[in-house]
Amino acid sequence: MATTTATISISSSDLMPGSPLNISASSVLMKTGITTGMELMEMGNAEIAKDYEAQLFADGPATDNGAYWIYICNTTTEDSTYYIEYKLHETVIGRLYAGDWMFVPYNASDGDAEVEVKGLIGINKIEYSMFKTAWTLPAAES
Amino acid sequence: MATTQATINVSSDILSYPISISKTMTMSKAANPSIGLDETTGLRTKKFTSTTAAVIVEHDELTDDKAHKLYIRNAGTSKSNFFFVAYNASAAAADTAETIGKLYGGDWMLMPYDGNVNITVASSTASETQYLEYMVFADGIVAAKG
Repeated sequence: MATTTATISISSSDLMPGSPLNISASSVLMKTGITTGMELMEMGNAEIAKDYEAQLFADGPATDNGAYWIYICNTTTEDSTYYIEYKLHETVIGRLYAGDWMFVPYNASDGDAEVEVKGLIGINKIEYSMFKTAWTLPAAES
Repeated sequence: MATTQATINVSSDILSYPISISKTMTMSKAANPSIGLDETTGLRTKKFTSTTAAVIVEHDELTDDKAHKLYIRNAGTSKSNFFFVAYNASAAAADTAETIGKLYGGDWMLMPYDGNVNITVASSTASETQYLEYMVFADGIVAAKG
């Protein structure tokens, strides 16, 4: 069994004056509902041009309502105003600006919940990973 | 202006060579990325004893179309029980449009959030009490609401 550990620390000395903020958490990523570590993953990088909408992860190969984890980082350094939108199907969830990262669960909810990103300003460079419970590669064309 | 930094580290032996992800970001405003986020809804803890969906972030407290960040952690330890987390006005279930994913015991998430729709959660169990921690790092709070 593989072991994948994700930790986060969030800190700020001045977001809440007089109350320094220090959050830390760690989790071992497990397959759906069991205590066996995830054993599948993929990762890559890409450039997302302005107004280009890309499907980052199709939900077809995933198990519906499974346990998956997505990491995306906008590694753009050219201009801090560049950003992409993170979308599920056609719904915008949030903006990932140059230098921002995100780490979220994904459950491939209903066979129609692909993960998409769209460039809004500039050419954005991203890095991404998905940690998976199960995944079926597309069949080869005959 | 405030400075809030978030660092992620992921290590894994899934592949035949070590995987190591390490990134730090400074949370910044959409209108001016050189200015740090300087508002928050505060760190909250909520207890769940039923599977009824609950809104944990009301979008009308936040300015629309901004660079908010949302941190959520399932404070429990059970890897059988979880929370559905959804970007939806009132629902959170397996196939709610749009369900973001499931947080099992100990799992955490940090995501960008545009503040246009509520964030709703639902516990997977009514037989065991579950606790959720969450915090919005806000790029604008509506004064009359927040």
